Amino acid sequence: MWALTYDYLVNYSMKDMSPEPGLAKSWETSADGLTWTFHVRDGVKWSDGQPLTAADVAYTYTRVLKGETESTNWATYLGSVTSATAPDAQTVVLKLSQPNAVLPLLPIPIVPEHIWKSVSEKAVKTYPAEPKPGQPVVGSGPFRLVEGTAGGSTFRFEKNPDYWNGTPHVDEVDYRVFKAKDPAVQALIKGEVDFVEDIPPLQVKSLQGKPGITAHSGISPLFEEIGFNTGAIDTESGKAIGDGMPALKDPKFRHALGYAVDTKRIVQNAYQGAALPGDTIIPTAYDNYHWDVPADQAFTFDLAKAGEQLDAAGYKKGADGQRTDPQGKPLTTMRLFARSSDPASVNTMDFFKEWLGQIGIKADVTAMDSSKLGDVILSGEYDAFQWDWYVEPDPDSILSDFTCDQLGGSSDSWYCNKEYDAMYKQQNGEMDHAKRVDLVKKMQELLFQESPYIVTAYTTIGEAVRSDRFACFQPQPDPGGVWLIQYGAHNYSSLRPASEAGDCDGVTSALGANASSGEEDAAGTNTAVWIGIGVVVVLLLVGGGVLALRRRGTEGERE
Amino acid sequence: MLDSGAAVPRTVRRRSYGRYVGSKVLGSIGSLFFVLVVSFFLFRVLPGDPARTLGRERFKTPEQMAAFRHTYGLDQSMPQQFVTFLKNVFSGQLGVSLRYRVPVADLIQERMWPTVLLVGSSTILATVIGVRIGIRSGWNRGSRFDKSSTASTLTLYSMPEWWLGLLLIAAFAVGMGPLPGLFPTSGLHSIGVDPSSLKGVLDTAWHLTLPVVTLTLAYLAEYSLIMRSSLLDELGEDYLVTARAKGLRDVQVRRRHAVRNAMLPTLTISALNIGFVVSGAITIETIFSIPGLGLLTTEALTIPDFWVLQGTFLIASGAVIAANLAANLLYGLFDPRVRT
Repeated sequence: MWALTYDYLVNYSMKDMSPEPGLAKSWETSADGLTWTFHVRDGVKWSDGQPLTAADVAYTYTRVLKGETESTNWATYLGSVTSATAPDAQTVVLKLSQPNAVLPLLPIPIVPEHIWKSVSEKAVKTYPAEPKPGQPVVGSGPFRLVEGTAGGSTFRFEKNPDYWNGTPHVDEVDYRVFKAKDPAVQALIKGEVDFVEDIPPLQVKSLQGKPGITAHSGISPLFEEIGFNTGAIDTESGKAIGDGMPALKDPKFRHALGYAVDTKRIVQNAYQGAALPGDTIIPTAYDNYHWDVPADQAFTFDLAKAGEQLDAAGYKKGADGQRTDPQGKPLTTMRLFARSSDPASVNTMDFFKEWLGQIGIKADVTAMDSSKLGDVILSGEYDAFQWDWYVEPDPDSILSDFTCDQLGGSSDSWYCNKEYDAMYKQQNGEMDHAKRVDLVKKMQELLFQESPYIVTAYTTIGEAVRSDRFACFQPQPDPGGVWLIQYGAHNYSSLRPASEAGDCDGVTSALGANASSGEEDAAGTNTAVWIGIGVVVVLLLVGGGVLALRRRGTEGERE
Repeated sequence: MLDSGAAVPRTVRRRSYGRYVGSKVLGSIGSLFFVLVVSFFLFRVLPGDPARTLGRERFKTPEQMAAFRHTYGLDQSMPQQFVTFLKNVFSGQLGVSLRYRVPVADLIQERMWPTVLLVGSSTILATVIGVRIGIRSGWNRGSRFDKSSTASTLTLYSMPEWWLGLLLIAAFAVGMGPLPGLFPTSGLHSIGVDPSSLKGVLDTAWHLTLPVVTLTLAYLAEYSLIMRSSLLDELGEDYLVTARAKGLRDVQVRRRHAVRNAMLPTLTISALNIGFVVSGAITIETIFSIPGLGLLTTEALTIPDFWVLQGTFLIASGAVIAANLAANLLYGLFDPRVRT
């Protein structure tokens, strides 16, 4: 929802979320990678009529670099940046202490200096940036928020007729937050809303073939994994903590278990077919960064092979058919943890337990609340867990989760490998894109071989739309991606009433041909779009540009 | 109208009403303070760490985590936090929500009225209708009405509320067969309608119809069954025989004598339930997506958003304590026997 109100300096492409011009028309990097120069578009206006200049951009970034609350929320994206300045109204210069390849992707909404300079450092903690009657939030995006408050259940956006990238084709976008999925789908069928998002695969199936409705499960950059306790330590003293299974510290042992996971069956049964079997930590949605596992190395569901690899690594079967460690001691029961909030999580672990049993490893499954599981992982008192990650367009963030620096932080597998860390540092500063891609793929390969995670599936997000009323939704990633909640707000500029679809100005409509002659909204061209978003997780409001902690809607609570 | 113990035998010292009120009010203040302390420590033992929950994929460095904790006072020691909390409460502040970054008092204020409207009107409706059903069943025990009403209220009572809600949505909001969809599927008001205008009020009422009907049906049995059994208890009493002997008509005997005495237990339950109004009805708020206090609380649990939890807990307990106090005071007024 932020992308509706504010612009980013650099946008995400529809094809694969790679950088493309946003507020910045173009940018260049100095040879040493320490200076980035962005050229800001001319003639962009804030919704209150003031011009948007490079000074606003520099102001926003400086605030993130200097402010306490702001930096807590956003500084991640400005790694190694030391200063942001605007030598003239059209130029922004970022100075860095060391090269940072993650730039120019900066999902930091640019806020107006003339509004925010009156909000003090202390007040920012609770500054709402909510619209008052007759006074929408001042932004520069394709729409502006006219109604809605933090944690509210309805949000209303009006179009910005002066948007630099063309006037949107719909007058209004309204969001309704549904707390339960069934009523959201019912509202779509009835026509109370025109779009629902984040609905389960079974609902997608039931909606397919209903007249006037188009539904699909869109590819989304999510992966599901079984993660192992590869050796929890106290980050202060370096001493081992918890009571993880010693065998799981052995990469060979972990890797062998990969052959005992039937990803196809998990996709079929746990995700009702609305997912793809997974293999590495960068989903296929980012096919530029995804490492394709060669056929001879890929995990096939092969219990015999898993057994051979375990034998070779010294985990032979004892007389009772149960495997022992290399010293001949029987292995302890492997404790598998699942999140009770997600049936698929429990499902996956139940399967895993069964497969482990077939290769001579005892296991039991415990389901618990995700915040409790977070604590269990931190204390190291587990052997394996099931969770998921939402991967950002730049792979840096997910790659960093496996570095030693993140032990006790974002790391949940306690994986720590000096060789990997060196590669991570290198890719982060590698300004040559092709070389960087190569490094990123090598890192995935290493993680695949050492298996702190076994990636089980790339899940999708179910969406359904009243295609008798609206058309021209371009998926992201294109093709096959999600229609609505994307990186950036391109699609809000391209979607339009079905009656005016035409050829969608060359935007290939994801919905295919719209031959349906559903009833039109009474107002003809003044159609208001009513978009109901069925979120059981909660959308966080655009609460003040630099403030609210926002993850993408669907990713709202991955905890 | 109240005697202050002059007319009673001296062996039983009755306290005056004033002293009775004083003791009850003091007791309530004591309970409230107890709740304050409990609420603080209760939520601190929840699993999970707000900085990690809210910062997943966002806070990459320990410094960022520390900064977040510092900003929201989570890095202070437990006793320090407790002192801050007490200071806040006594200065009328409830802290800032970790998740929404707005003062908790504002959040609660915003979420309070949907809940009060929903649960309050359901409680009142269920009391009124339930009591009437109870009187009629009790008075004509064994009649066809009695049997069918008892069976149906019990069925409704044992149905899961959310399931009943979903059925009603399917039948009356989406429409089934010949039925058109009369009501909105969920939400509290239409988008773009000013809730304070007349149109807005009607719009909200229209949105609340289904959830209120659902809750009312679910609560009915509680009242009708209690009313029925208290009335049955009264039926054998001597004073009813006397009343009949005086030649009063059946209706008068029922209204003036039996029902009056039988109402007391029902009133108790009503008073207590009114206290629970602000706790919200979590399942119904979820099904109908009504932004009430019940939802606010359950969603805050997953973070855990301590300040919101403490705020809602305090408000909910405060309401129950206040309702209890009111019930006690009324009893003391109507029935001098309880003042001993």
